[in-house]
Amino acid sequence: MAAGTDPAQPGGGRGRAPHAHSGRAAMSSRSQGAPQPGGRRDPLFPVPGQPRRDGTAPPAAAEGGERPTRARPQHTAPPSAPRAGRCVSRAGRAAMAAAVSAAALGKAAGVAYGYGESGGGRGGSFLGPRVPAEVEAMARGVQDVGKDTFRRLLKVAVNALEGKDCKESVKLIAESTNLSEEQLAFLISGMYTLLREALRLPLSTFKQEVFKEDLKELRIPEDFIVDFSSVVFGNRRPASEGTALVQRSRLPSVQDFKWRVDVAISTSSLARALQPSILMMMKLSDGTAHRFEVPVAKFQELRYNVALILKEMNDLEKRSILKIQD
Amino acid sequence: MAAPVVPESDSIRRAVSLLNAVDSGRFPRLLSRLLQKLHLKGESSFSEEEEEKLQIAFSLEKQDLHLVLETISFILEQAVYHNLKPASLQQQLQSIHLDQDKTEAFASAWAAAGQETIEKFRQRVLTPQKLETIGWQLNLQMAESMQAKLKSPQAVLELGMSNEDSKSSANARRRGRRRAEELGGRLAGETEANLKKVFVEFNHQELFEFYNKLEAIQAQLDSLT
Repeated sequence: MAAGTDPAQPGGGRGRAPHAHSGRAAMSSRSQGAPQPGGRRDPLFPVPGQPRRDGTAPPAAAEGGERPTRARPQHTAPPSAPRAGRCVSRAGRAAMAAAVSAAALGKAAGVAYGYGESGGGRGGSFLGPRVPAEVEAMARGVQDVGKDTFRRLLKVAVNALEGKDCKESVKLIAESTNLSEEQLAFLISGMYTLLREALRLPLSTFKQEVFKEDLKELRIPEDFIVDFSSVVFGNRRPASEGTALVQRSRLPSVQDFKWRVDVAISTSSLARALQPSILMMMKLSDGTAHRFEVPVAKFQELRYNVALILKEMNDLEKRSILKIQD
Repeated sequence: MAAPVVPESDSIRRAVSLLNAVDSGRFPRLLSRLLQKLHLKGESSFSEEEEEKLQIAFSLEKQDLHLVLETISFILEQAVYHNLKPASLQQQLQSIHLDQDKTEAFASAWAAAGQETIEKFRQRVLTPQKLETIGWQLNLQMAESMQAKLKSPQAVLELGMSNEDSKSSANARRRGRRRAEELGGRLAGETEANLKKVFVEFNHQELFEFYNKLEAIQAQLDSLT
């Protein structure tokens, strides 16, 4: 099967897709729908039967049957997309990755690993080892969508990320274009998922080039890629991040804290009490309010514990675990 | 003393005569038992069986026993209220014609456990909720659904608050198990089952602000003394 149809080969120059081993390389049975003709020899890829680099025995049958490969993040075709004709660049890449890593012929081992990963040297794209189904579907569907419609759909997705209601705009789009409901559904959900996953990663470790390359591998048209990057890396990002912060799942935090110190001069049980006490009113972010009294001894305990937590937090923040780069 | 701490009323006189008839041997123990339980509200110190035993031991009718117990509690409460010294307590009791041995028993029990009882009364609060327990947890959040690769430390503070209402109902239920609560007479022993736990989360900044507020409170407390 000609790999010429596959434009996005990582590592460049690997024009020939390794089909001989795609059967055993596929991490799941999904790409089994596209049987690979064997025999295309490439010097880097071992003939079936040669010992693999990681020491496992080569499969008895080169094709068919699942093989759990080593746990390397690799793209695989999503279950909902059996594509007979197009030998999925997914399967192709997965095959190549596995085969490369299985090369036992003293090829540059580091290089083999490098090729086993997607462009940019990171394991898999930012979407993870398996591209979500809707993103795949979107990547396919978006090819046929006009730029204007795409922009409107993108706007809807961004509004959804920022937490705004977009039922109206979706209705408008549905009416004005000739996209079916199903198409609209997976286009918008695909874009939303893509953007959400991209926004999850902090800017310090996630670079624009990597993002663009990953999108290229999904075969999204170039100018759409530019639009996506401007959302993720442009100046609308703080708005989306702000919403994420607000929607975080947290235990209630202190919204308002009032206190007073009383000295009880006399009570019904003691003519001369002269006992100081503290009354606290805490309003939490989930709306509950707690008014309670704190005896002086308990207050000291509270103060001691809070100071202790602060000290531990400071120690934690200084420790080297926080300096680990990811 | 200006005004008598224990007024001379009919019921008091009756109680005194009953008290004088009571056997002195067991009297001090009765006194100390009542002293220990004095600060607990809404509860009688003895269970049904114990009351029956007391009736037999002191050869008193049920009504009379109640009167005696109530009178002793009243005397002790007055002693707490006025912060009486053992000597003045003894004097007061003599003025209502209580027998010598009984007044001495009162005086010695008061001398032994009086200050403690007063302290316990001091700790009583009128507000419905009181902070009982403090627990905390320091976490390092690595990621969440909307944000990957965080490394934010956060603390969770667990405040256990006792509820006045549930306290009294709980006590009514636990007549038999009061022995266990004698440990230091701490109120916490009674209310562990009725703690309402409040969880509050802080990040570094919020915790620091909270700490500053606690320091302000401490400064106020220091200025009191």
